[in-house]
Amino acid sequence: MTDLFLSGPGAEELLHGLAVNSFANFHVDRAKQFIAVNPSGQLVGDAILARLDEQSFNLVGHPMAIDWVQYHAESGELDVDVSRDGNSIVRAGDPRLFRYELQGPTALAIVEKLTGAPVPQLGFFHMGRFPIAGMQVRAIRHGMAGQPGYELFGPWAEGGRVRDALLLAGEEFGLTQVGAKGYSTANLESGWVPSPVPAIFKDERLRAYREWLPASAAGSLGGSFDSEDIEDYFLTPYDLGYGRSVAFDHDFVGRDALEILSRSPSRRKVTLVWNPDDVQDVMGSILRPGLPAKYIELPKARYALFQVDRVLQDGRTVGQSFDCGYIANEHSFVSLAAVDGLEDGAEVTVLWGEEPNSAKLQVEPHRQVPIRATVAPAPFVQYARESYRATH
Amino acid sequence: MAPKSLQEVLDAAGNTVDLLRNSQLGTYIYPVVPAEFTNWRREQRAWRETAVLYDQSHHMVNFFVKGPDALKLLSDTGINSFANFPVNTAKQFVPTASNGGVIGDGILFHLEEQEFVYVGRAPAANWLQFHAETGGYDVECTYDDRSPSRPYGEAVTRKYFRFQIQGPSAWQIIEKLNGRTLEQVKFFHMGHLTIAGEQVRTLRHGMAGAPGLEIWGPYSQHGKIRDAVLQAGAEFGIEPCGSRAYSSNTLESGWIPSPLPAIYSGDAERAYREWLPATSYEAVNALAGSFVSTNIDDYYLTPWELGYGSFVKFDHDFIGRDALQQIDPATQRKKVTLAWNDEDLARIWASFLDRDTPGYQFFDIPNANYGSSNYDSVVDAGGTGVGLSLFTGVTANERRGLSLATVDPNVELGTEVRVIWGEPDGGSRKTTVEPHEQISVRAVVSPAPYAVTARTEYHGGWRTAAAGAR
Repeated sequence: MTDLFLSGPGAEELLHGLAVNSFANFHVDRAKQFIAVNPSGQLVGDAILARLDEQSFNLVGHPMAIDWVQYHAESGELDVDVSRDGNSIVRAGDPRLFRYELQGPTALAIVEKLTGAPVPQLGFFHMGRFPIAGMQVRAIRHGMAGQPGYELFGPWAEGGRVRDALLLAGEEFGLTQVGAKGYSTANLESGWVPSPVPAIFKDERLRAYREWLPASAAGSLGGSFDSEDIEDYFLTPYDLGYGRSVAFDHDFVGRDALEILSRSPSRRKVTLVWNPDDVQDVMGSILRPGLPAKYIELPKARYALFQVDRVLQDGRTVGQSFDCGYIANEHSFVSLAAVDGLEDGAEVTVLWGEEPNSAKLQVEPHRQVPIRATVAPAPFVQYARESYRATH
Repeated sequence: MAPKSLQEVLDAAGNTVDLLRNSQLGTYIYPVVPAEFTNWRREQRAWRETAVLYDQSHHMVNFFVKGPDALKLLSDTGINSFANFPVNTAKQFVPTASNGGVIGDGILFHLEEQEFVYVGRAPAANWLQFHAETGGYDVECTYDDRSPSRPYGEAVTRKYFRFQIQGPSAWQIIEKLNGRTLEQVKFFHMGHLTIAGEQVRTLRHGMAGAPGLEIWGPYSQHGKIRDAVLQAGAEFGIEPCGSRAYSSNTLESGWIPSPLPAIYSGDAERAYREWLPATSYEAVNALAGSFVSTNIDDYYLTPWELGYGSFVKFDHDFIGRDALQQIDPATQRKKVTLAWNDEDLARIWASFLDRDTPGYQFFDIPNANYGSSNYDSVVDAGGTGVGLSLFTGVTANERRGLSLATVDPNVELGTEVRVIWGEPDGGSRKTTVEPHEQISVRAVVSPAPYAVTARTEYHGGWRTAAAGAR
């Protein structure tokens, strides 16, 4: 992930003016999911924002939201210093921070063993400090599927010692290291859409921003959704379930547009559970004569930074499907989607594969196929455990 | 006290098969090289249709041996004849244990007078090093280990870069790099080539009848040589091949990379087991698959079973010679390719979405192996064991699941057999295994290498067999 560090007397005002979120109770040692929109109220991106000190913030995530904030910091008049630490694809040398995520039903017990004390009762997205292996490690209270967990971070040089201490303490609790492949599917369970198409490619008011962005920020677009108009790919915060984060208690870029959007119907973020027989047919197609369907990679099948597949019902487009992959815990292949007012249990079709095939290196010649899917809530996992299994 | 040697590991474990079947090593990793440069389907197709650049710089051990007794060391340990092994030639070196079981194999290069390098998996290199150190040979050895499996961002360096340029357009690219025509010396003969102003050494190689080259030189030139080959090859459609597709090329070429070294039992190899450290490949490697015998000897393979019968030459004395002389080659299993039934393989994949049963052992693609050595039972229609399936995956060129196997001499090409996929009793404790059920997969016995002849000669046989099974 990309880190942006902001400091100075103008840092809060800058962030506040770009965030749909309220800053009313945003004290030191709090974090939040920072969400930015363009002047039309369309999503630019989201990232985790942590308030490290009165005038010091850390924004971490995909570059889309971070570019936007950095641009406004550098081109605006506010008194703010920014310093960027790119992800390991673009950065030379070591990163500034280590960052681990300790998650799962025994995460609390592991922290208590490590710190030798009961874990302080931190609210969600509240921050604390844990003494681990003689170091003070900052922690953000996080959680997956209703279980408490922590994001731990600190100076890169301390990362190895923290990791060793975690693994040693966690052994008796079954702590398992997660590789890049498994990691990439965690969001399918928690329901977070990692990289919506940023709504920056069209608006004439954003021309200066596009001129500031490097060419590499264009990203790659993949999937069956195929409009000539890039605006058809843009989403509002309401489409992705961020409505409750939108607070009209302050002025921010896109506020006027969102006030109107907040009163009109939006799409709903859901999980689509793909039909096992149809998934089997796609996977089996690489063994049969003729052009195969687009290869499904396990556990993560998304093949572009911006994955957008068309969702149909009775031949009509009723939504867009984004990130997709396999959840071993539920033996299910799912995608996260935004759909028009469909109830849980509704039957839809996801178009899988590109027609015509794009020239992206990761796309091999293939044919487009329909895959049946069932609408389910996002996050999926809680629902799957409590009701889905009983009814299917 | 923690065991220090393989022998101490075995003594502490009790049963060797249980130890290796429950290894916590994880999957066998082809390190450092990116998994995919484009995607593995495209990279597989490139070696069949245009050309590929394989990067072999990281996954093999280089074992250098030089000195007055170097050739004697090799001759004393290899089944191969060394009667005609001049400088600038190479051979596939196969050592056996005293019981006649194969230890491993790799490419042996005769670099200079009295100077050789073995390149391949660890077991044969370890075996050579042991005999070099304990056999009273006047040699100097250097063990250049494979790159770490999980470098985690740390810098990695080797003595040599090692590439192969392969595929139907490979020779055109090589000649373009050379600036003029290049003599296609005999297979496994060595030469030189100038690339980007650097002289690299070459080994004449090839895939599916098309000539290619293996090239190597100082690792510091890795990036420069790679860039030059890819640039020259661009107009011919060359693709860099990632580690994911790379390990599956053997499904088409028919080489079995992963026999279990035949060194775990018997007094003759005890000194070797006491010499091998507790961290060695032999002590930590993972044994996977449906074939389970309590006797480790049942996993050993003879040269004939791996297709190396023609290498066995009794023109010299070597370890294992007496055991091999007792063997009638006509009784030996033979190497084949098994072409897996499409529907059965698709059923395995579909089981990952079945919420009512544990499902089958995960079948990753293109390389489905889940241990360092993989032994799946091959049975006939009556359920009788007729062979072992040893390396499994999928090739986009054939649009099939294939495995390399060794089967009884009376099992004919075209026969339908069953491969048992998955481990008994819900599976071992390996980190690559989740609780699962076994599945019997139909497969048709086909030639090895598969790619060259099977498409033309056995295609019809496959169809008939598949239809007959329904």
